[in-house]
Amino acid sequence: MAEDLLVVENVKKHFPVTRGIIFQKQVGAVKAVDGVSFSVKSGETLGIVGESGCGKSTLARCIMRLLDVTDGKIVFDGRDISNLSRPAMRPIRREMMMIFQDPYASLNPRKRVGAIVSEALEVHKLGTATETKRRVQELLEVVGLNPEHYNRFPHEFSGGQRQRIGVARALAINPKLIVCDEPVSALDVSVQAQILNLLEDLQQDFGLTYVFIAHDLNVVRHISDRVMVMYLGKIAELAPKVDLYEQPKHPYTGALLSAVPIADPARGRARQPIVLEGDVPSPLNPPSACNFHPRCPRFQKGHCDVEDPPLYPFGDGHVAACHYPLERWPLGADEFRKPGTAGPPAEPSAVS
Amino acid sequence: MLLEVNDLKTYFQTDDGIVKAVDGVNFSVEKGKTLGIVGESGSGKSVTCLTIMGLNAKKNTITSGEALFNGENLLTAGSRRLREIRGNDIAMIFQDPMTSLNPVHSIGTQLVEAVQLHQDVSKKSARARSVELLKAVGIPRADRRMDDYPHQFSGGMRQRAMIAMALVNDPDLLIADEPTTALDVTTQAQIVNLMKNLQEEFGSAIIVITHDLGVVAETADDVLVMYAAQVAEQAPVEKLFNRPHHPYTWGLLGSLPRLDADVDRLVQIPGQPPSLLRPPSGCRFHPRCPYVFEKCKTVDPPLVGISDDPSHLQACHLDEETKDREAAKLLATTMAQAS
Repeated sequence: MAEDLLVVENVKKHFPVTRGIIFQKQVGAVKAVDGVSFSVKSGETLGIVGESGCGKSTLARCIMRLLDVTDGKIVFDGRDISNLSRPAMRPIRREMMMIFQDPYASLNPRKRVGAIVSEALEVHKLGTATETKRRVQELLEVVGLNPEHYNRFPHEFSGGQRQRIGVARALAINPKLIVCDEPVSALDVSVQAQILNLLEDLQQDFGLTYVFIAHDLNVVRHISDRVMVMYLGKIAELAPKVDLYEQPKHPYTGALLSAVPIADPARGRARQPIVLEGDVPSPLNPPSACNFHPRCPRFQKGHCDVEDPPLYPFGDGHVAACHYPLERWPLGADEFRKPGTAGPPAEPSAVS
Repeated sequence: MLLEVNDLKTYFQTDDGIVKAVDGVNFSVEKGKTLGIVGESGSGKSVTCLTIMGLNAKKNTITSGEALFNGENLLTAGSRRLREIRGNDIAMIFQDPMTSLNPVHSIGTQLVEAVQLHQDVSKKSARARSVELLKAVGIPRADRRMDDYPHQFSGGMRQRAMIAMALVNDPDLLIADEPTTALDVTTQAQIVNLMKNLQEEFGSAIIVITHDLGVVAETADDVLVMYAAQVAEQAPVEKLFNRPHHPYTWGLLGSLPRLDADVDRLVQIPGQPPSLLRPPSGCRFHPRCPYVFEKCKTVDPPLVGISDDPSHLQACHLDEETKDREAAKLLATTMAQAS
């Protein structure tokens, strides 16, 4: 068993909402991430999915310490980094890097590719100018660009090539962990396949660990070992990918899976989508207890809106926060509104 | 035939030369049917539809061919006539709901304006019609939300408001340019359902432009695969997905990660889409095609029907035996794992 590279324990990130100009009185808090715990093993890929506004990106920024956590602990490579000062954080920043969503906005348009990719090397004072240049050209080659592109500007590249520059930048200082925040959602399918293949090759060659955030469930299934589904700042379900995609337990996961169009007319049109009503509620004022209950097709009055469901275990590291988990998958057309056919598992015990 | 497009060409004059954004495209749409147009960015999908709507900048655009809408050529119609048609007989839903609504007018004002532009009705009845449409697209408390501004709507609601605006005059043809690209899967499912229901109710024809093959598989009756300003393959939806005949279509299908199967490695189409300033000679796909042979480099393949099915058009020099074999191989890898 590989060691845990990253352990996240009960992390919360609340953004205060204030009123008043001089005396800023806190009138509430946006609970962007609200008590999330998980761990990522060395060499593993953890996929995180969820709708916009569910706290995926905030969580990523907390892991990278681009945001300070409100509460909870982030342990990276055996060290608690959640309260480290900036100078103490600096050597650890060499070990973790991020790839961003928008390849157009995440590269400085006034810098040359060489300067963009080598910036981290210079910040951490790794190597002389010649060494840096050689390293950058090597990196460009690794990600499938021409080393002669060293002196070009980002605008001379297409979206896919820009994302490759972003990948090269993330690799520059040999990090252990790369947090990918929607790295392929701005790209065409053909280019998306190129980047996904590249990320997989790099993982094998350099033993990288990924936290891979996306809203495209197909992409997440392809690249992840385990998948975490988030809803309104909390974990709805976390499981090895085959379990999650073939035996989802949380109704929200079921709804997400059933909503994905299938690129096969015969099967696509035969599927029974569980169409969720309405939009994701505001994290400023989340619903009581189980925060999915207003949209849940299996909602039980007096239980789901009163008692917050813990993460019930289903074996093999599969956990789901639901009092009335799905018993089988896929569901028939009429099965979705049958109340009380199943309770929680025999011995409900919360996983810490 | 509601819309018939013949040999449509749109060229843009730029400082670097002429960009052939659409280069000889033919298709037709029947009433009550849905046509899906797929392809990578820059393949000419959106420009095709903007040309039909007469929305390209006049100054540097050269257009030829014809787009017959109920027998009337839209490409030669005057701007006054086009204004009558747009939003009334042909409506368009744009890709980005965040930027295509006017932020300084309320949703209601914008809907009422759309009604009154084309119908001689009082403000009151225009408003009633708008509320009715907002309800139809599933916006709760529609009569109160009418006075909200776009920023008070979520992404999915804005897209619905766009759809309501497009449908407010019962268009015969609805052009949806990437209607679900900016949305989450759950919202996407709602919008796709909504478009299907509205089509059943109003019997409009729809053109869906998208790069999501899943959306096409589930909504379209016919599919047009575009590559570098030309049509690579055109077929009824089942035939396209069950017996794809063009290496580019294979590439698109193979590069798609699957929800219901684990594929070890995605097929990738090597390289980048070509520049339309100087498209490759012969078949435009040949520099990226794994099956390329001599003829592909010099002779542009015509778009012809396959021998046993004239409704399935494709532009590729490969012999049909090889194609059937390769298509079967591709489907075996994706489908076997799925079942």
